[in-house]
Amino acid sequence: MIRGPQQPSDDPPPSRRSRSLFGSRTEGTPKPLLVLEDVYKYFRRDIPTLRAVNLTVERGEFVFVTGPSGAGKSTLLQLIYRQHGIDGGRILFSGRDISRLTDRSIPFLRRNLGIVFQDFKVVPHWTVFENVAVSLEITGAPQRLIRARVAEALERVGLAGRGNERVEHLSGGEQQRVGIGRAIVTEPALLLADEPTGNLDPALSIDILTLFEEINEAGTTVLFATHDHSLLSASPHRLIVIDDGRLIEATHGLRAWSARTQMSA
Amino acid sequence: MDLSSALSRARRGFRDDLRLHVVAVISLVVAFLCLGAALLSVENLSRVAERWSGAQHLTVYLKDNAAPGDVAQLRLVLESLQETASVRLISAEEARREFAAQVDLGTQASALPADAFPASLEVALKDRTSDQRVAEVAERVQRFGAVDEVETYRDWLTQMGTLLRAGKSAVGLLAVLVMICVLAIIGNTIRVAVTSRRREIEVLKLCGATDGFVRSPFLLEGVMQASAAAMTALVLLLIAYLAMRGQVEATLGAVTGIRTVFLDPITMAAMVVGGGMMGALGSALSLRRYLKV
Repeated sequence: MIRGPQQPSDDPPPSRRSRSLFGSRTEGTPKPLLVLEDVYKYFRRDIPTLRAVNLTVERGEFVFVTGPSGAGKSTLLQLIYRQHGIDGGRILFSGRDISRLTDRSIPFLRRNLGIVFQDFKVVPHWTVFENVAVSLEITGAPQRLIRARVAEALERVGLAGRGNERVEHLSGGEQQRVGIGRAIVTEPALLLADEPTGNLDPALSIDILTLFEEINEAGTTVLFATHDHSLLSASPHRLIVIDDGRLIEATHGLRAWSARTQMSA
Repeated sequence: MDLSSALSRARRGFRDDLRLHVVAVISLVVAFLCLGAALLSVENLSRVAERWSGAQHLTVYLKDNAAPGDVAQLRLVLESLQETASVRLISAEEARREFAAQVDLGTQASALPADAFPASLEVALKDRTSDQRVAEVAERVQRFGAVDEVETYRDWLTQMGTLLRAGKSAVGLLAVLVMICVLAIIGNTIRVAVTSRRREIEVLKLCGATDGFVRSPFLLEGVMQASAAAMTALVLLLIAYLAMRGQVEATLGAVTGIRTVFLDPITMAAMVVGGGMMGALGSALSLRRYLKV
């Protein structure tokens, strides 16, 4: 069964119990979940990686972020989970300006996010259970709750009953499912996926995209960065294009954007 | 810090890098063994010095041709002194016999001439007799015709004091070296462990773990390694001490007149607790640069 974050739970989510800087996902519903206002990021002084980026993501949305390699897709996500700080503008998550967070508060931001990576970032010598449970362990959740939540997350990602297997023995697609399980086990408000299918073959990529869509249908907001046009074509979600550090809302869909980029080339 | 979670992750760390941790603990055991052995030596040397400096003692060596009457008169004079606790006459034959027994010469004992050692009067003085008074008594006794030489053991005790001071300085230096050793070994072990567990640290940080949460199992690993090494070293030292005690007391003990002792509980506790603290410090120092994710 797929259970969304808005559905009631017997236990409060551990991230809320331990310390929440960002409030409940159901509080203040009119506010957008994520707002970027005039955001700049420089890795080189003369060339901005991101320039004047404005973006609003509503709760429950599924947003594709695409663009050529090196355009700044990953950087955009990294700014949201505060791997890097911004050099201009502001980023509001649940109405809070996360660019002003102190280093000590960043862990508490990340507990409210789920992050999935291209290279999976799973610990190979840990079991599937250990890899998924780690998101809850860091919040100090009791073992009983961890066991229940991990079992549920593994079921959602199609790995039910495989908790005791070591991750290094799994296929790439399965390892990514473990990464997704770890990202959703805390029932985060926002799921950030940074090229999650980049290391997978096309058939598996579609499977993983479908999994993200199921998670989104259950209520979780998803920001999905990819440069794989077959995925963008497969699903009619909102599309954001980053090109040369600028963000373009591709309101007319992938084909219109592709045609425009080909013409400009 | 959630101690049970930290312990469980430290246990997982030991399991994953078992060989690395075993090698580190063995290296630390060697370092702590050196420190423990030095402390044990100084502890027993201190006891010798304390005993000999506390109980003043004179040996009055008699001339070979000393007349028994002169010796008896000298003995009476010595016994009449306020500071004297006891006087014992040791003939040349007795001195030879005691030496042969203590040094265990076996058949070679018969080769020693009968007058190999001079006869002497062993004078035990009462406690708290001042050095100045001992020197006065020695000077007075020296004037007797039957006396060849008076040994006050001042030079010996001075040398013993010097040796003890040098020993204590050496132990201090050794303690510093062992601390550096613990820091270096634990630091390097944790650094290697951190390198092999970088992915784990990265994952923890990206999932929202605080620095304290990431650091805690490594600190525990450092504490456990150093404490376990200190305890193992103490057990090995105790085994060696018990195995050698009989022989040491039969030779050196007979000469110095003390019974050897093992390290006192406070010293042992200090080694284990201090070692653990150095282990934690070594871990903390080596972790700083790996926490930035």
